[in-house]
Amino acid sequence: MDLLFQVIVNGLLLGGLYALMALGLALVWGVLNIVNLAHGALIMLGGYAAYYLFTLLGIDPFLALPLVMMMLFVLGYILQRYVLSLIARSPMFNTLLITFGLDVIFMVLAQLLFTADFRTINPSYAGTHVTWFNLTFPTVQLFSFAVAMCLTVGLWLMMLHTRIGRAIRATAQNLSAARLYGVNPKQIYALTFGIGAALAGAAGDLYGVVSQITPYIGATLTAKCFAIAIIGGLENPLGVIVGGVLLALIESLTALYVGPTFVDVASFGVLVLVLIIRPQGLLGKTA
Amino acid sequence: MSNVLLQLNNWYAGYGDVDVLNNLHFTVKEGEIVALVGSNGAGKTTLLRSLSRTLKGRGDITFAGRSLYDETPEKVFESGLVQVPEGRLLFDQMSVHENLLMGAYRRQGKAAIDASLERVYGLFPKLYERRQQRSGSMSGGEQQMCAMGRALMANPKLLLVDEMSLGLAPVIVDQLLEILSTIRNEGITVLLVEQDIYAALEIADRGYVMVTGAITQSGSADELRNDPHIREAYLGL
Ligand SMILES: Nc1ncnc2c1ncn2[C@@H]1O[C@H](COP(=O)(O)OP(=O)(O)OP(=O)(O)O)[C@@H](O)[C@H]1O
Ligand SMILES: [Mg+2]
Repeated sequence: MDLLFQVIVNGLLLGGLYALMALGLALVWGVLNIVNLAHGALIMLGGYAAYYLFTLLGIDPFLALPLVMMMLFVLGYILQRYVLSLIARSPMFNTLLITFGLDVIFMVLAQLLFTADFRTINPSYAGTHVTWFNLTFPTVQLFSFAVAMCLTVGLWLMMLHTRIGRAIRATAQNLSAARLYGVNPKQIYALTFGIGAALAGAAGDLYGVVSQITPYIGATLTAKCFAIAIIGGLENPLGVIVGGVLLALIESLTALYVGPTFVDVASFGVLVLVLIIRPQGLLGKTA
Repeated sequence: MSNVLLQLNNWYAGYGDVDVLNNLHFTVKEGEIVALVGSNGAGKTTLLRSLSRTLKGRGDITFAGRSLYDETPEKVFESGLVQVPEGRLLFDQMSVHENLLMGAYRRQGKAAIDASLERVYGLFPKLYERRQQRSGSMSGGEQQMCAMGRALMANPKLLLVDEMSLGLAPVIVDQLLEILSTIRNEGITVLLVEQDIYAALEIADRGYVMVTGAITQSGSADELRNDPHIREAYLGL
């Protein structure tokens, strides 16, 4: 019984990070109608950025978050403004193709620059944990869960209550009207993609602390994010919390009861099920 | 009253290689309500799109003493040329209040924006009652009010109103026309595009008649109302 609860705790903590990973993908998908297949690669780049900030400059990975996010924001903004904008509003197939191309480029570049070695960020407190009710909460998992929740809720509040957030939603809802009302869609799209990339960067930073980074993690992470976004829907940033926690729990429970090798089978089984039963996502109206 | 606010000369606009508007000449003076009438497909909406610069056009366009030819849609909007577009184009997942705030997207200063909000809610008490409602779930008349309120939030100099009366009950149309008269008296110039020529000429000072991309007639509202051609063609009298 204790083991089951511990597995649930682990799943919940991992779910927070999953939510953050998927948040940027869902945002970009919802606003720009681009399923960014390079999203996982952006997470990977964020992980390396945090890794080198830590090993070369000694910056704590949690303190490095704003820096990593800024770097990825700039990368994302430039990518959208000067590369992806060339195919703005072209068929979904083109955007899939070009973001897949970016994914491959980032992977190859990472392999050249950072080698294929496994990297993990190991701050001094990495092995510590706290115990509540006989359950173990590893410090870094707990921190990253808290950070992920703050960023997700923060994005949600930003979208709801700021001028920029309103303009982003307006552009997603009615592009012609947004243009008539003084919104520059190119700028909004670049900003949105930049924010999506910054969130991927933050997720990569945390991922590097709780797990391991290689140049090849991108594709699997993109697929997980896709599943989470589908489950949570694109309407509301809080949807990814439900999607992330659900996916992480399913993975943890599958690892416990069926076996660790079946984890991916289970999570994509869920994705297929959701697509069949509720193509609009479990929560949202569109996906 | 006599300063020219908007002046178009030799104006052409269209889609792809096809010009819908041909060699248009058009004037709106400060403080006027000008009606632009014409049947389906005449090119009225095309004209408005080209004024807002969301659609390219060729020729001379001067607004408030400045050429708009090279301006982006954002700058045109900021300079006070604001549309209430055909079909309303509300942000329909957003509340009424948020739609109004989007109208003020390019404006700075919370106090001034709050003052505009108060004024719009004063003009449309219905909108105040429904300020938290999702705009897409309102009735057609309420949606039109919301679209007009959103435009007023931009502090327009010239309000372009496209097919305001479409699908609305006559009582509501009368209310909205009255509001246009009110805001004109507050100093906002209005270009009213209508198929319902009778409604438009009711409050307009002057009018233009457009047929397949060209202005075929113009004159004071009275002249147009009494013109036998127009009575026959549009009023069915
Ligand atoms: N996006 C577009 N692409 C191509 N042609 C268009 C487009 N929009 C309008 N047209 C064409 O331009 C012409 C003028 O259309 P427009 O919408 O300006 O007419 P209108 O006077 O506003 O008509 P209505 O009273 O029905 O609104 C029509 O022949 C129409 O088919
Ligand atoms: Mg029209």
